[in-house]
Amino acid sequence: MVDPANTKLGRMLLDEITPAVMVLRTPLVEESCRKNGLSLIEMLTPFCNFINIDVPVRTANDQPYRLRKFKLRLFYSAEIRQPNIEVAKERLKQVITHAGDKDITDLCSDAPEIESLIATSEQDFVPSWFPVFNKELIDAVSFSEHEAFDHPVACLVAVSSRDKDPIDKFVDLFNTNQLPSLLNDGAMDPKILKYFLLVHDNQDGMLEKATGILTEMRNTFGANDCRLLCINSSTDDTEEHQENPWAYYKNNASNDQQFGCLLSVDDIEELRNTMQDFSSKHIIPQMELKIRLLNQQVSATRKGFRNQIKNLWWRKGKEDPPENPNSQVYTFSSTEYQIRVLGDYAFMLRDYELALSNYRLISTDYKLDKAWKHYAGVQEMMGLAYFMLDQSRKDAEYCMENAFITYSKLGSAGRRNATRCGIWWAEMLKARDQYKDAAGVYFRISGEEPLHSAVMLEQASYCYLLSTPNMLRKYGFHLVLSGDLYKECDQIKHAIRTYRSALSVFKGTTWSHIRDHVHFHIGKWYALLGMFDEAIKHVLEVLACGHQSEATQELFMRDFFRIIKETGKTFEVLRLQLPIINFPLTKVVFEDHRTYASPAAASIRENVWQSLEEDMVPSLSAVKTNWLESQPKVLPKKYKESNVCVSGVSPMRSMSWAFIGVRSRVVELRREGAEAIKVGVSFKNPLQIPLSVSNISLICEHSVEFEETESDANGSLIDNQNDKELRTVSISGDFSLETSLFTLSEVGISMRRGETILVQLTVTPKIEGILRIVGVRWKLSGSVVGICKFNSDIIRKRVAKGKRKPKQVKDNLHFLVIKSLPRLEGVIHDLPKTVYAGDLRRLTLELRNPSKISVKNLKMRVSHPRFLNLADQEVMDSEFPTCLRKQANSSKSCTEVDVARAANSIFMFPETTTISWEKPLMWPLWFRAAAAGSISLYITIYYEMEDGSMVITYRTLRMHYNLEVLPSLEVSFQTSPCPSRLQEFLVRMDVINRTSAETFQVHQLSCVGDQWDLALLQPVESVCPLEFLMAGQALSCFFKLKKRKTQGSAEDNISSLATSGRADVRLGDDDSRGLFDTTISPLLLFHHHEKVHQERLEKEHGSTVDFILLSESRSDSDAGLPRTKEVFSYHACHCRIASTSPIWWLINGPRSVRHDFSASFCEINLTMTLHNSSEVAVSVRVNTLDSTPLVSLVSSTASSVSGNELGWHDISNLSDLKVTSDVMGTRTGRVTLPPESVSPFIWSGSSSTRLNLDPLSSAEVPLQICVFSPGTFDLSNYTLQWNIVSSNDGGEENGSRVSSGTCQGHSYHITVLQKE
Amino acid sequence: MIVCVAVVGHQNNPLYIQSFTEADDALKLHHIVHCSLDVVDERVNNPKKSGPTLNETFLGLLYPTENYKVYGYLTNTKVKFILVTTDLDVRDADVRNFFRKFHAAYVDAVSNPFHVPGKKITSRTFAERVSTIVKSFGLSSAS
Repeated sequence: MVDPANTKLGRMLLDEITPAVMVLRTPLVEESCRKNGLSLIEMLTPFCNFINIDVPVRTANDQPYRLRKFKLRLFYSAEIRQPNIEVAKERLKQVITHAGDKDITDLCSDAPEIESLIATSEQDFVPSWFPVFNKELIDAVSFSEHEAFDHPVACLVAVSSRDKDPIDKFVDLFNTNQLPSLLNDGAMDPKILKYFLLVHDNQDGMLEKATGILTEMRNTFGANDCRLLCINSSTDDTEEHQENPWAYYKNNASNDQQFGCLLSVDDIEELRNTMQDFSSKHIIPQMELKIRLLNQQVSATRKGFRNQIKNLWWRKGKEDPPENPNSQVYTFSSTEYQIRVLGDYAFMLRDYELALSNYRLISTDYKLDKAWKHYAGVQEMMGLAYFMLDQSRKDAEYCMENAFITYSKLGSAGRRNATRCGIWWAEMLKARDQYKDAAGVYFRISGEEPLHSAVMLEQASYCYLLSTPNMLRKYGFHLVLSGDLYKECDQIKHAIRTYRSALSVFKGTTWSHIRDHVHFHIGKWYALLGMFDEAIKHVLEVLACGHQSEATQELFMRDFFRIIKETGKTFEVLRLQLPIINFPLTKVVFEDHRTYASPAAASIRENVWQSLEEDMVPSLSAVKTNWLESQPKVLPKKYKESNVCVSGVSPMRSMSWAFIGVRSRVVELRREGAEAIKVGVSFKNPLQIPLSVSNISLICEHSVEFEETESDANGSLIDNQNDKELRTVSISGDFSLETSLFTLSEVGISMRRGETILVQLTVTPKIEGILRIVGVRWKLSGSVVGICKFNSDIIRKRVAKGKRKPKQVKDNLHFLVIKSLPRLEGVIHDLPKTVYAGDLRRLTLELRNPSKISVKNLKMRVSHPRFLNLADQEVMDSEFPTCLRKQANSSKSCTEVDVARAANSIFMFPETTTISWEKPLMWPLWFRAAAAGSISLYITIYYEMEDGSMVITYRTLRMHYNLEVLPSLEVSFQTSPCPSRLQEFLVRMDVINRTSAETFQVHQLSCVGDQWDLALLQPVESVCPLEFLMAGQALSCFFKLKKRKTQGSAEDNISSLATSGRADVRLGDDDSRGLFDTTISPLLLFHHHEKVHQERLEKEHGSTVDFILLSESRSDSDAGLPRTKEVFSYHACHCRIASTSPIWWLINGPRSVRHDFSASFCEINLTMTLHNSSEVAVSVRVNTLDSTPLVSLVSSTASSVSGNELGWHDISNLSDLKVTSDVMGTRTGRVTLPPESVSPFIWSGSSSTRLNLDPLSSAEVPLQICVFSPGTFDLSNYTLQWNIVSSNDGGEENGSRVSSGTCQGHSYHITVLQKE
Repeated sequence: MIVCVAVVGHQNNPLYIQSFTEADDALKLHHIVHCSLDVVDERVNNPKKSGPTLNETFLGLLYPTENYKVYGYLTNTKVKFILVTTDLDVRDADVRNFFRKFHAAYVDAVSNPFHVPGKKITSRTFAERVSTIVKSFGLSSAS
């Protein structure tokens, strides 16, 4: 524990609670002093502070002690009264304002970090004007009548030697009724020590007169109490002082006048001696004397048991304490006052024990008297005395608190005293490191006066910061409270200062609500001061306040724009947070060797295109060697570099671009209009209020390389790099978008609440060189310009994520701009957005080359050849639907070529095709909507430059189309072998119209391939009675499909052609139109793709057949103009024509037999022809069964099908056909036999026959049945079991096949009649 | 009446703060809750007092402001619950009871697999439950 006297409070008390001296002077004295720029008191003050006065003091007890430090306080008589409240307030305000102005320089600097703040000592951050302010507050309550230490202990009377009748003046000065009220109204003893000082101005000469007056004074007032003071003895007014003693006391005054300029060293010495003499020979002895005198009196009247009892009784008897506690109750003659004076004098002379004992004595009296103000004052002094004695801390604090509370209870009268008491109390606690408690005291001091409260709260906040542990949050909170109060008093600078300090607490935290508030108010207040840069800096922090309420957001925005408006200029803000830019979504689209026909194509992922172009684009190294070989020397070096850069594999590139430090991308530019680089930037509005953003554009830098040495292109590359100089042109400053170097696009958007908008910005370079996209700029609500630099944060973010290689990211926004190149523009005309499945069309591809340089070696690839195919150029000239019809001379040879080309899926344009300037190439395309659903078509066209000297020798044009294909007709085929004939099949076609409104006309069914004959089972009219297939309708047709015999039997071939139109069947009855030729290009081509496509779905052994159904659309409004009929084709491939079994069989025998049953039973011989259609040998076993699970006897005309029944049906399944048997009338034949009864016929011969069939061979098995009665019999009760004989079998190829099976017998009806 | 309840994470970040007053005093309540964390820290880190109350989660009255009383509660995971009330005579048992229910609600809220620890509690169920608890505060003692 340090000596209490050395603590801050101790020093404060030693300064404040010291003897006061009243100074009386004549105007002439003051005039003499004014010559030095000082008043009399100011002149004397430096000499009233004694560091080591070394005076022996003996107070109440007989032990003397020596007084070291001593101080006098000098006051003019007019000042000795209670200060005016308003004046005091004004002074305090001045102190604060003055301090605020001094701090203005600090306001621009950044607030210190809170951690560093804690580390520094208290003096460094607590504002230095606090002590000044506190002293002013304490002075505001001086010269109170209830305390004696402000009461003057002596009176210094000064008269100038120039005054007339100086002796009378001395008497007059003291006798005038201008004396302070304290002396006049009896609050203090008017008989005080007087000291007479004759001031002589040496410039006036007449020292003799002065000494004469002094002698006269001595005679009148006593020899000891008079003194002559000579000043201004310096002849010229250039007296310099080594250590100007006044500088410390008047440091705040103007410095233009040198203080004490007329005072010589002797004068100063005399001043010092005068005051020393005054204090040591007069004041201190006088105080000692008074202490001893009063002590005796007090001891006599109050000390001792008897006196105490008496006193108590006397006070008890005193009824009714005075109503007004402020009225003068204790005059200087009262005992209470004397005790108080005794205590105060003792305190001033550092006899704290004596002071404390007297204070204690008086405090009970005051309490009993209910003189609360006096009581509080005494308590306060007791606390201070305890502190100075460094005794019981608890008592000291208790006394201070007691005093504080008592003062506070007095209301407005005691408030300022309470403030003083609180300041002392807080200082006391701070001296003992009880900062937290001190903060509490400061908090309690803050009352109604907002300005005082603000300062007190600020002091409290620093106490929280200094307390251990640090209470940072309370620090921040109290600073904010204090700042609010400062603002209330228009002390904006102080408010900003406190808020900025508070910000250091809230900056890093997640308490955004508070942080926003602090930032916002700092910004607002800075704007009030006109410091807009700082203001905007702080308001910017709160702009992206998505977490705030809508009203708050609006408030923030409104104030922000108001501040911006007040600045009167457009601000550029580097980190404007509105709107937020989502960085990972930023997308850069540019065209080097890849060009895009539409923006949609550019948005497709690169790997989609790459896989499409894989085989088509020459490998990069090959390109390089090509041009290096052809023109190694002629090329400018720059192109070499850029080309190398494109290739990305050469070691040369890494050398050359290591110099520049970035890898570039190549962008070419055309003479008549450069190609644009597109950057997609996604903006997000985090607020709940709409934002309007305008003038969004890119910031670019363009540098032109100056190459002086193009001639030595074959020299060392490294040397060349050193010659290069870069000129950087930035247009970030101005708004002119048309510069000579590049063109920028400008976009304006308005964003709704919480909206995210992707903005596409373009920059179009105009001059060769290096283009770098630096960032994006935008204008918020037409007033603030926001700038966001891309590369720094993008790269950092992405690298940090580690998803992309930094190398790849780095070159993202660097572009090497090269000379113009041809760039094809392509479009497919008439490509529909929505089509019905099966729609077959001819489209036109138009390729246009706006450049003067022609291109060659065109190639094209389509992602879905099922949908789109390149046609021959001749197709262009012919009429579309008609050209598909069968021509008289259809050449079959071309079909094979087409298929071969289709398999490749890269369509080569003829070698001769070049596209020159402004002469578009029109090329036909075949389009067929192959399958229903949404489909994305990717088309890429490769082309090479005619001029080989280009940096890029080839380019690709990428086109992208989206299609919606609606379902139309649904076709299904069902094929089953004809039971009556080998190699013949019945085909059932089901067509359903799945559209909602469209009507189709089924036109033709074709069977692909040469080996099939197709014929209708019924005439056309019966198949298609309505001709049109309306929406939702279904249609079933039956066809006979026959396998053509080998090509060798020519005449058979011809005959079948004549009857059935070979493999095409007309379904409509409109004979006027010809059949479509399925063997020519589009149909065959698409069929090929269909076949390839459908092959995956069906894996089937055995032979299959492919069908093509052709139909035409029919417009709903028949009355309308006849629109061109659209052709639809439907391909059904790999329709299996056989069951799973590899064998076919047929029973041959007589259909009807006449037999005389009276003679014997009837034996009928039959033959079963078995055919193995598979590629492997099959073992077959024929089992005949006598008991049939279901035997149906039908009449002989079973084969005729009722006209109501369309098409063919399996008879065995249609048992209700029996009803037709009566029609024939020949015989009932209807023998209903119970299943357990004997069947009407039995199989004779072996019941089981086994035989092996070689591949593709036939065999005959003889069969015999015995019939016992006439009738019609169904010989279907046999089964064929077949097994594939695996001779060389590896097993693996048969894995998917069925290796064995059982077939039910076909029904074979035989009619046996009684022979007549 | 309870004017504010708050959940503060172990890094003194606000997880949930809800006022139950009509007036627009969110900022003030934020400040009060924020300041009370100082007191919580002081209570927790003060070795003198932590002896018998080592496992006590209820921290008691943190500090009385002019119009409010602030109570605190510290969970085992160093998550703080702060209660600001305008009632001047509050029974400790009531507050304890309140915090116990509040703690249960909090545990249920953070047990939600979709809750990210350390992030703000956005569960509507939690908010509803808290408001029910707040409404029932002090009623049980009366009955």
